[in-house]
Amino acid sequence: MTDVSVVVIVYNDADRLPAAVRSVLGQSHRDVEVVIVDDASTDATAGVADALAAAEPGRVRVVHRADNSGGCGQPRNDGIAESRGTYLMFLDSDDTLDQHACRNMVAAAEEHEAELVSGCCWRVYPDKGEESAWYRGVYRERGVYASVRERPELLYDTLSTNKLYRRDFLDREGLRFVERLHYEDLLFSTQAYLAARKIAIIPHRVYNWMIYENAETLSITNQRAELRNFADRLEIFRRIDAVYVRYGADDLKLSKDVKFLNHDLLLYVRGLRSRDREYREAFLALAREYMATIDPRAYGEAHELQAIIGFLVARGDDEGAVTAADYVGKGKTGKPRLTAPLVERDGRIYWSCDHLDTEEGRRILDVTELGIHSLPLKSLNPGGRVTGMARAGRELRLSGDVVNPLNRIRADAGLSARLEFRDRSRTGRFFAVPAEVTLAGGRLRWRARVVPGRDVRPLGFVDQSWGLRLRLKAGEDELIIRLFGDDPMDVSVPVRPRLTRLAGDHFEAYVPESGEMAFRLVAHGRAGRVTLATLRRLTATGRGRRWWTALLRAERRWRTVFTRRSTKLAVYNKILIRLPIRRDTIVFESHLGKQYSDNPRYIYEELRKSGAHHTAIWSYAKNPAGFPKDARLVRRGSWQYYLALARAGYWVDNQGFPRDAVKRPQTIYVQTWHGSAYKRMGFDEPQVKRSTRAQRDRFQRTVDRYDAFLIRSEHDARTLAKGLGVRAELIRSGYPRNDPLVNGGDTTELAEELKLTGDDRKVVLYAPTFRAGPGGKALKRFEMPFDLEEFAEELGETHVLLVRPHYLNAAVVPPSLRGVVRDVTAVHDVTSLLLLADALVTDYSSLMFDYALLDRPTILFAPDLQEYARSRGTYFDLRREGPGPVVTEPGELFAALADLPGVAVRYAERRRGFVERYGEYDRGTAAKQVIDRFFTGGRDA
Amino acid sequence: MRDIFIVCNNLEELGGLQRWAHHVGRLFAERGHRVHLIGVTHAQDRHDYGRDLPYDLTVLHEVPPPDRRKGRLREMRRRAVQRQGAARLSRMFRAARPGGVIIAAQVWAMEWVALADTADMPVIGMSHESYQATKTSSRYERVKRHFADVHRFLVLSTEDADSWARDGMSNADFMPNPLHVTPTVRPDLSRPVVELLGRLSFEKGQDMMLEAWAEVRAGFPEWRLRLYGAGPDEAALRRQAEDLGVTGSVEFRGTTADVEGALNEASIVALSSRVEGFPMSVMEAMAYGLPTVAFDCAPGVRELITHESDGLLVRPGNTMQFAEQLARLMGDEGLRAKLGEQARSSIQRFSAEMVMDRWERMFALVDR
Repeated sequence: MTDVSVVVIVYNDADRLPAAVRSVLGQSHRDVEVVIVDDASTDATAGVADALAAAEPGRVRVVHRADNSGGCGQPRNDGIAESRGTYLMFLDSDDTLDQHACRNMVAAAEEHEAELVSGCCWRVYPDKGEESAWYRGVYRERGVYASVRERPELLYDTLSTNKLYRRDFLDREGLRFVERLHYEDLLFSTQAYLAARKIAIIPHRVYNWMIYENAETLSITNQRAELRNFADRLEIFRRIDAVYVRYGADDLKLSKDVKFLNHDLLLYVRGLRSRDREYREAFLALAREYMATIDPRAYGEAHELQAIIGFLVARGDDEGAVTAADYVGKGKTGKPRLTAPLVERDGRIYWSCDHLDTEEGRRILDVTELGIHSLPLKSLNPGGRVTGMARAGRELRLSGDVVNPLNRIRADAGLSARLEFRDRSRTGRFFAVPAEVTLAGGRLRWRARVVPGRDVRPLGFVDQSWGLRLRLKAGEDELIIRLFGDDPMDVSVPVRPRLTRLAGDHFEAYVPESGEMAFRLVAHGRAGRVTLATLRRLTATGRGRRWWTALLRAERRWRTVFTRRSTKLAVYNKILIRLPIRRDTIVFESHLGKQYSDNPRYIYEELRKSGAHHTAIWSYAKNPAGFPKDARLVRRGSWQYYLALARAGYWVDNQGFPRDAVKRPQTIYVQTWHGSAYKRMGFDEPQVKRSTRAQRDRFQRTVDRYDAFLIRSEHDARTLAKGLGVRAELIRSGYPRNDPLVNGGDTTELAEELKLTGDDRKVVLYAPTFRAGPGGKALKRFEMPFDLEEFAEELGETHVLLVRPHYLNAAVVPPSLRGVVRDVTAVHDVTSLLLLADALVTDYSSLMFDYALLDRPTILFAPDLQEYARSRGTYFDLRREGPGPVVTEPGELFAALADLPGVAVRYAERRRGFVERYGEYDRGTAAKQVIDRFFTGGRDA
Repeated sequence: MRDIFIVCNNLEELGGLQRWAHHVGRLFAERGHRVHLIGVTHAQDRHDYGRDLPYDLTVLHEVPPPDRRKGRLREMRRRAVQRQGAARLSRMFRAARPGGVIIAAQVWAMEWVALADTADMPVIGMSHESYQATKTSSRYERVKRHFADVHRFLVLSTEDADSWARDGMSNADFMPNPLHVTPTVRPDLSRPVVELLGRLSFEKGQDMMLEAWAEVRAGFPEWRLRLYGAGPDEAALRRQAEDLGVTGSVEFRGTTADVEGALNEASIVALSSRVEGFPMSVMEAMAYGLPTVAFDCAPGVRELITHESDGLLVRPGNTMQFAEQLARLMGDEGLRAKLGEQARSSIQRFSAEMVMDRWERMFALVDR
């Protein structure tokens, strides 16, 4: 008896069938057989299959079906009937098995006596040279389960092909594929999961699912077929529900319903955008009928936006559902796009202004927690449309609109815009023309005229497709808005590719799969028609296609290599640093370019005041808004950035320039650092302590680039500088950012910005330290350790709370609390916040050291003090030496805040001692000392 | 009965890998297999692994083969030397009876196996360190290249095997080290002694051990820390002990041949390593019924020790917690007895019997 039978089903796929069969015969586990089931192919498949069988008699057999089944179910069942193995697997003719698939699965089946073994399927894109694991989360590690209930997420992987089944198990349960319905995999795998008495999971790659890029086609998919698919899918789901009931697993229905919302429905709703009314009505009818059977709890467990999609579909609001689907985003390819205007009601943000009349509607549509209302304008990503397109001679007149979510884009900000044609296969290449914008009726309307023959010059052949986008300037902010085309418009206009008319002569409007409005290069003239047709014919043949994709891939690879960080670093370290140095240039950076703030900022401002003739260059990470206008700005990580670093006479920063960038000996690196240390740093940190010698050497090398290191006290020298392994000169100047804390500073502007002018409530700054998630990465959303509503209720009359999480974390403040709580994450400069605040609440942030200089009350709200100290390690005891009381309960915190004068008095002594110990060098002259020492004193300090 | 070829870099060094090779060689031989241990070259410092061994010993190159260095001529010469060694291997492989298997126990040794004619025998590749340790070293690329096509690629723990599988090595599986000691004595866990056995080197992390020791020592004046082993970091560690003011309670004992004698005097064993595979010192301690405090620095460590059940695990590098857990054990003889007893029985999962059965099943699988 054979160990494994692999059933390979095939229909009109003579080219690829041999590769599939070879992947089985080439298994490291040799005891396998292949059963090919030819579903009445009309091409050469039957002959190819017979030849394969003849070449390996005894290992390959063929079943020829008399008539085509139109699906996968019947052929697979025929294969099962024909197979003789102890175990069964299924393979499609265009896919392959991993070399060790059978060995790993058989080993797992035998070791654990499992009836069903499932391994990781990889999706392979041969044209792009890319691949990715399918449901990696399920296949992270091996596992054995007596029932799928122990691991319900297995149900997410509904493929039947990446699995090994015991044959006697299939027979015992009467398990076969359903026939004459699509999505037979879903039902089959669900039944298998539920019926198996033991399931083994292995993380090994077992199956290669080959996905070939489709040449982009205009053809609108057959709508009727799509609806039939959807109906089939729903029918399969109904049958799955029945299966659950049969196996007494009704509880699994909820998780399937959640998946339906999270995944299936989303997929179809995305497709609705380009569908007509008739289709939509039919779709809604099918969907609503099915959704009546969904467990209402599914809405609570599904992702926020997906729940909204489900809710809106169930209410027949397809327009609303489509907008929610737009904001889900599609992995790498599509960013979330905000096409709904949103509404604010009673201090909460809702997805839509309709359906808010029921409690359920308000609950599901409430998207306050997404934090859209406090996103920076640049990250808002509003969706735009092209609504009008007309040709006048050689000119194209375009118009459209953009949603204005929560009216965040303001007319008084000064709006201007350009319409851009971007090369869809290359980032960063575009042609632009001016556009008019106006705000009207809650939308932004735009209009532009373009003569493509003059304004847009494609190369030809390699850049066939051009998308539309709008670059909108609103004050200092710049938004790039993709423009989508809901209806394909039948317009074409002359254009002149650089590679002459042979490459095409017209731009033809079309809407590609991504939904954006685009133009493609077509040929109306004879010359182009011939060359383009030839090219198409060439690329349709096997060799031509390989040649063409190789060419495109080479170009793409060259581009990614050119823009890669490692390339830039290599060029920097080998070539750029040999360029002549410019002694007078200074590169400034604060917090990896995320802000214009902290010590580098105050040094820069002092430098400007001193009148020294230096060229200042500021590095910014993403958005140049907020950075000084009188400095040269370079984007962190760009070629200009590396060039600037290479040639600079000085580097000034508070955290770290790219760590593998060599610093030239002639360049002077002033490392200001960004705060004194409470928690252990550098080599004193467990994470660094455990690292390998190579990692430590690397760490030390980055630190050894410093020429000067600013400190605020001898405590810094003993802890921070020693922990980081600083061997540079210690500059005992104190921090430039703290000069205003000693000398006093002006906060009227900030108070105005925060609408606090004339407000006589106490201003409390809440600035907790950095929080990492389980993986060590920054937590995207910071969970407030006390209830903001409660704060508002108890202290809202007398206090205003400014919330500022660490710059790598973010918090959400609901608009209803706007009067009492302000999110000040976006304020670059923390010094002015400290000046403004009447009291500081923090846990372990280094701001406590700076704030102590103001001699105002500080409350250390540290619910996890013990755990934090234990896991991170600290340099002193916060309870004994901290500049204020340590509290661990929100109640205590509120009580302390209610009695700020009392705290001020009781801890006056402590604060004085704290400043003496930890801030002895902060005397208000730090910036000047640094300037005198490095920039206005002798050359080469 | 099979011909089993175990190919290592060398068989003479005093190291975990060599101990493993000689140990499994003996165990295979006891099961009736014909075992051939093959070293690519000699070691610089040769340790005596005994006489009248129940297996053949072969060294391919009497003179160490040249290292990989720049220059085409050098590379050609290196290849030529390598081919000579591989030819010797081929002759041995061809003389094997049907049913033989080849185990390439290290990736450098695998380069020779890859060049040799394996005479249709299945090749099993091995890596004796954690996935993470390989990942951060220069061996990573070589492991992925040379072990990509072997029939089975074995690492020490399930977690490591899964990591490799995720990383594209679909032949990855695991094979733990077999327990290599049979205790004849039983420490009574009352002596105030903590022991750490291992080379005095950065990898073994004695520097972190000393830091932790400096924190606990004050509360336990009568306790001693004994460091067994020699190594490059000895001078630096002695200096560090002095700086921390713990010289009085720390004993540098050098290498010992009498592991049983040493363990019999301990009440607690510590493992402060930065990298590990499947640490034999922990297996030893457990077999002797000693509780272990260990940095959870590799999957092999957590596979051996279940926290709070048969030992104590600490987040790698966190010397404060290491000190805390040491102090817990030092102050609680009952806890030491409880964990030690559990350790003694749980380590039997890796008894020679169990692990050898797993090997036999593995051989049977690659035959199919």
